[in-house]
Amino acid sequence: MTTVEQKKNPESRYAMTTLPNEYGSMGAEGIEDLVKRATSHAPIATYVEEPEPPISWAAIADAGWDLAGIVEDDTCASTRDLVAIAKAWGYGSIPQPLLPSLLAKRLSAAAREVDGPVTFALPLGDGALVPFGALDGIVVVSALGDIEGEVTEVPTGEVDGLDLVGRGVHTPVATTFTTEAAREVALVLAAEVLGGAERLLADSLTFVIEREQFGRPVGSFQAVKHNLATATVNVEAADTALIWGSQREDNAFRGALFAVDRCIDAAEIAVHVHGGLGFTWEVGLHFPLRKMLSVRRIIDRLERDHT
Amino acid sequence: MTIAAEDLIHTAPTAARTDQMDGKMTTSTLEPIRDIERFASDAEEFLSTAVPSRWKEARGTLTSHEMDEVRRQWDFTLWEGGYSGLSIPTEYGGRGLGLAEEIVFHVLAGKAQAPDGLARVGKSLVTPMLIAVGTEQQRAQYIPSIMNGQEVWCQGFSEPQAGSDLANIQAKARRVDGGYLINGNKTWTSFAQHARRCFVLAQTQPDAGRYRNLSMFLVDMEQPGVSISDIRQISGAVHFAETRFENVFVPDSDRVGDDGDGWKVAMRVLGDERGGIETAARYVEIRSDVDALLDVLGDQPEYASRLRDLDIRTELVHWQLMKVADLESVGDDEALARAGAVLKLMWSELWQDVTRLGVGHAPVVQQKHWSYQYLESRAVTIYGGSSEIQRNILAERVLGLPK
Repeated sequence: MTTVEQKKNPESRYAMTTLPNEYGSMGAEGIEDLVKRATSHAPIATYVEEPEPPISWAAIADAGWDLAGIVEDDTCASTRDLVAIAKAWGYGSIPQPLLPSLLAKRLSAAAREVDGPVTFALPLGDGALVPFGALDGIVVVSALGDIEGEVTEVPTGEVDGLDLVGRGVHTPVATTFTTEAAREVALVLAAEVLGGAERLLADSLTFVIEREQFGRPVGSFQAVKHNLATATVNVEAADTALIWGSQREDNAFRGALFAVDRCIDAAEIAVHVHGGLGFTWEVGLHFPLRKMLSVRRIIDRLERDHT
Repeated sequence: MTIAAEDLIHTAPTAARTDQMDGKMTTSTLEPIRDIERFASDAEEFLSTAVPSRWKEARGTLTSHEMDEVRRQWDFTLWEGGYSGLSIPTEYGGRGLGLAEEIVFHVLAGKAQAPDGLARVGKSLVTPMLIAVGTEQQRAQYIPSIMNGQEVWCQGFSEPQAGSDLANIQAKARRVDGGYLINGNKTWTSFAQHARRCFVLAQTQPDAGRYRNLSMFLVDMEQPGVSISDIRQISGAVHFAETRFENVFVPDSDRVGDDGDGWKVAMRVLGDERGGIETAARYVEIRSDVDALLDVLGDQPEYASRLRDLDIRTELVHWQLMKVADLESVGDDEALARAGAVLKLMWSELWQDVTRLGVGHAPVVQQKHWSYQYLESRAVTIYGGSSEIQRNILAERVLGLPK
């Protein structure tokens, strides 16, 4: 029997805090640094489909990042902290199973026994998606939350064609989630794609300042500025929705879904302001967008299964 | 039966408050409390007895004059109870607390159905401006009577030819012995009908070029040459006015900042106008409208997804504001700039969506409320920096896009 003791968020009616704890801020900073050093913020497309990702699993495991969610005492990560860490990770679009492993080891004793990466099977409504299920040596956990589960090999299945960063496979049966676990997984998935939306916004700003048409940067045209201002409102609202969802557990699914929708809005603007380059494979804006679309469906399903 | 306005006015201040009523700068007798739980429960207790029952229960029967008097009285009640100027330093008669307490108080006041006072412009715009760039004499002279609600202020910025293009101010302040003579027309001036004073942006250096030709003045409205005519809005309400100044004298001592620094001072004020306290007040009103819609439409499946969206966006206005307060307290300036710059866009566009649903779908018995709210809400994406100006600011000053 595995038990999960998540650090409780403040119950106060008034003393709402929107910031992560020190654990979350330090974790997010560490991840941000790791991603930046590994990629120098090179275009996502230059590494996302390479067989060797810019950060190796050994680098992640040696630093203990996959164990960062494990609950040991009062100083461990809260859900809000995981949201901060997942957002920092999502910015990189690094194809490594850090977040599934971190969540599995937090939410399953069986997963904690495993040295290497662990994943789970997310419900699609029609079968399930196992993120990084195509990876050699990864195992999948059958249950998350304070229920008993086991780890097994990932069943063979069709490779997922939507979320290419996730390198997943389709399987018939989803992992069993307690409601508490499902809420946390939904928020972390949404936070990861929020990191992707932040990345798309930053890339768009760089692009519209460099790209010239009519003899001036396209970012100097008001129509383009207003689009990017709207994308910024979307990203801010998504960020706040995840804070809300992580501090008010009843709102976890609603907050996560709202956030992903706003990320998709921002990503559509990013594709649009990149003009003809925005819908080329090689510029790679579609990688974070694909993940958003995939996660949207999964969170919707998690919510239906748990309300 | 109507109630004579005088009956509503409580005129006897407590002894401890008399000095401040007289305009003497004394340190507030109320200690700052940084324990937000305690602050909130104290505030709840205060509000439970302080909100006038005739406002809570019989607002609909009051004439607009009576409503104004209740609102003016409420400013005094707040001050007497220690809830005026929560985030203003104690040395200026405020409470020395922060944005977090302002937000909590606004939310509780909304729940308690408290009136909104008339002192808003004075408290959230004039006082911070004077603290930042005013003289010691100006602070001593004007802040106490703002804090206790005695003097209502209005904002003389917009002109017929200077709306979004605020730098195009045409009002002139000509140098004369000991001060200036102001001539010009201001428009869309909120609270002008109630205001004892107005802070006015006018040209002092016509040859100095855009952004360097303006100065800011504190103008006494009760003097010859000031005339006010009401402007009726599409809702039928009269919230603002056209204000004319003809040879209105302002002494040198009532200029804020140096001659030619008016634009800089105005930009500071606009930052406050679009900032946190205004948003807190708006959240309360929007929350109340969304709750009303949930009451009447919440059980009808065809509205479920729209209501869900509006409900979340409403809560996010509150949480966005809390995020701004937290980022301010930890000094994360970069994140703060972005989080703060989206506030007005978030609440103004939301409120329009809320009232649009209400006016089209709420029961006919509520038509008066919803048509009023809908028509009123059309203004919020225009005033205080239109949505286009907000997006320009966000794009140029926060995102760093080229002009």
